[in-house]
Amino acid sequence: MRSRSLFSLLVVACLAALVLTACGGSSKKKSSATSSGNAGGTLMTVAKGAPSGSPDPQINYTLQEWQLLVITHDGLVGFKRASGTEGTKLVPDLATSVPKPTDGGKTYTFTLRKGIKFSDGKELKASDVKYTFERLFKIGSSPNAGTWYNVIVGGDACVKSPKTCNLNQGVVVDDAKGTVTFHLTKGDPEFLDKLAVPFAFILPTGTPNKEVQIPPPGTGPYKFVEYNPNKEIKLVRNTNFKEWSKDAQPNGNPDVIIQKFGLSAEAEVTQVENGQADWMFDNPPSDRLSEISTKHADQVHVNPLTAVWYFAFNVRIPPFNNLKARQGVNFATDRNALVKIYGGPNLAVPTCQILPPNFPGYKPYCPYTKNPGSGKWTAPDMAKAKQLIAASGTKGASVKVNTDTVETDKALGLYFVGLLNQLGYKATLQALSPDIQYPYCQNSKNQVQFCWSSWYQDYPAASDFLNILLGCGSFIPNSNASPNIAEFCNKPIQAQMDQALQQGITDPTGANTKWQAVDKAVTDQAPWVSLFNPKYIDFLSTRVKGYQFSPQWYFLLAQASVK
Amino acid sequence: MLAFIVRRLLWMALVLFAISVLVFLIFFATPGVDPARQMAGRNPSAETIKSIKHEFGLDRSLPVRYGLMMKHMFITRDLISYGSHTRVIPEITSAAPVTLSLVFGAAIIWIVFSILFGVAAAVLRGTVFDPLLMILALIGISIPVFWLGEVVNLITQSRLHDSFLFSWVPPLGYTPLTQDPFMWFKQLIFPWLTLSVLYIGFYARVLRANLIETESEDYIRTARAKGLSERRVLFRHTLRTSMITFVSLFGLDFAVLVGGGALLTEVVFGLPGVGLLTFNSLTALDLPVIMTTVIYAAFFITLASALVDLVYAWLDPRVRLA
Repeated sequence: MRSRSLFSLLVVACLAALVLTACGGSSKKKSSATSSGNAGGTLMTVAKGAPSGSPDPQINYTLQEWQLLVITHDGLVGFKRASGTEGTKLVPDLATSVPKPTDGGKTYTFTLRKGIKFSDGKELKASDVKYTFERLFKIGSSPNAGTWYNVIVGGDACVKSPKTCNLNQGVVVDDAKGTVTFHLTKGDPEFLDKLAVPFAFILPTGTPNKEVQIPPPGTGPYKFVEYNPNKEIKLVRNTNFKEWSKDAQPNGNPDVIIQKFGLSAEAEVTQVENGQADWMFDNPPSDRLSEISTKHADQVHVNPLTAVWYFAFNVRIPPFNNLKARQGVNFATDRNALVKIYGGPNLAVPTCQILPPNFPGYKPYCPYTKNPGSGKWTAPDMAKAKQLIAASGTKGASVKVNTDTVETDKALGLYFVGLLNQLGYKATLQALSPDIQYPYCQNSKNQVQFCWSSWYQDYPAASDFLNILLGCGSFIPNSNASPNIAEFCNKPIQAQMDQALQQGITDPTGANTKWQAVDKAVTDQAPWVSLFNPKYIDFLSTRVKGYQFSPQWYFLLAQASVK
Repeated sequence: MLAFIVRRLLWMALVLFAISVLVFLIFFATPGVDPARQMAGRNPSAETIKSIKHEFGLDRSLPVRYGLMMKHMFITRDLISYGSHTRVIPEITSAAPVTLSLVFGAAIIWIVFSILFGVAAAVLRGTVFDPLLMILALIGISIPVFWLGEVVNLITQSRLHDSFLFSWVPPLGYTPLTQDPFMWFKQLIFPWLTLSVLYIGFYARVLRANLIETESEDYIRTARAKGLSERRVLFRHTLRTSMITFVSLFGLDFAVLVGGGALLTEVVFGLPGVGLLTFNSLTALDLPVIMTTVIYAAFFITLASALVDLVYAWLDPRVRLA
């Protein structure tokens, strides 16, 4: 989920200290709360706009819709509905168990639970699973069909000609026995993770093979009854739902969940304060942080995210095709100043590396700080920075610092314009509309030298950061879809990544040790200036009880109680 | 007269065509614009982007793309938004009643109060009330609607929301008139007042100037010489004549607002009307919605301007021959 807009309104630092003393404290107190409270009532939520993109569950790629889809639909496996690291564990959902792969990681066999029904009353069958995966390709615009699911036998052919997609070889089903066997073209250590996100949630056979305007029936405790992108989304209880696993899909508390659209973040805060809304999807704007943290401290929850904000150097064009120049800028960067711009030390934590904390393969590592060794960033080292840049011979080069026009992001860009000028470069800012900036930076044709970006996990796997953002295969020249913005490709490091991916099929723990080494090696090559790992603010009305924050799905809406 | 009407309507069609072509070209000339990439998520394969391009006709030449968009907008009426992937025409038709509710209510308020203020200022010319009223009007014109709206919200929704004065104020948003007329009224009263402040100020000043100008006309002197009462002179003669400018201005302003000109008011008060739709489509670079809202707005504006011209032509034969 690349949900940069979630954080776009957090600006300027002056309020942060105030906010965050209160917020930080409340987070620790509340985040560990377990589901409690009574069933019933309406959970009224508000958001600036509807989830961007199609409402179709196999197309939409936003946290906002995923938070709803996880309580209306199920995958064969799912992430445990729990806070903390527990929430990153895979548990069986529609399947009876999480299978171990066979055939060198190329075959996964699931057995479906019996008696599960869709919200339209139809019973779940193994053939629905095959239908779902064929539909994923047939609709033609599922974002990750060609990058995640083409590993299924027949997947590549389906990507090429979606209309005639046939997965008879790749997804073998037996309705009588209730078994589903996936055959892959090669081992994929993240295949189970990919089955646990909404693209792979099971839909009933007969769902139209084209984009739908409201998510079709699912098996979860709620169902969509309204999806109006200009007004609201409404979920009501699925009367055919019976809880089969508290870990995977617990029953929900509210009878109705509504998300209204069209208010500014300011107005959202006011509605939550007045008790007219129970939760705001967007982060509160910075000018209201002090107010909510002093007056409503018990209603505020701050949680760390497995995400990273960074500036990517283009390692193929001057001046940052020079390692010393990149390292020099890394040493000079005052990450505390950047954290302040974002909102303050309790809203973000400085980092120097690629992987975020509490993530598989993470081990604190920071070579770009004064007194390195502890793994933590403490202060910039300007002397070292200047020495490295002088040695690089890149002084005097022109650099365009590219960000989007969102206030915080632009402020981060302006910080670097100042810093680069101080280091002897001729830096200027290039701020583009948020809808253009990301693909613009990705296209090597545009020759962007230094680009702001951020990345939020899809699922807890180190390769989701390292291989996707810095792997050789993720750099596609002259394409707007080339997530390796740095254009970084280091053959020995790529070999390490490939080994880690291979090992992950059978030995995820051992693989994570390898990813640790990859993280360190990449950080030493400095393709980015990693800035910080952000946190997320949830602001709730007084009547909401049972707040839980999943690292995968964030605030678990259905587990909250408003009665 | 008929020839004039036909000429005017043809001109209107030409303006609409030119506007749509301009919007279309500006959109695709913007550096970095790639709707298919935007729709494809953060890490799509080249095939997925190709498939989306094909589905939305983005792999065709620009004139064909334009033709397809117009066909989907006017003929098959199934134009799909790049942002929400839903049909655009129903979005507009469901947003239009919100905008109409807002604009009609505000228009009634601004007509009543601007006439009151304008007439009072003209009648009380020479007293302290005239400059006072005109200063008030100037303040009304000068206050940006988004700022005033935010202050109104701050007071009614936040700071004094729990007081007896504003505890009745419902949450921001819109409830259809058919669903709950009282709630419809309560939710719109502050947006109406906020939107009308600017126009009250402007129209009051225009009306005052016209009233004073008309006062010195011969026929007013004649009316007075006939022995008519001051009230009769004012309401039957001076005000009626002075309203001509007022009414023609009103026609255009009303059309602009119905066409989405109340954008800022809608955004500040969370009213899901055409203005908010325009705002959202602009921030998300959603061409089909931008295109439709621009044509919708241009239609109302050119229609109103054509109507005003027709009325002038009917009133003054010199215009017909021009």
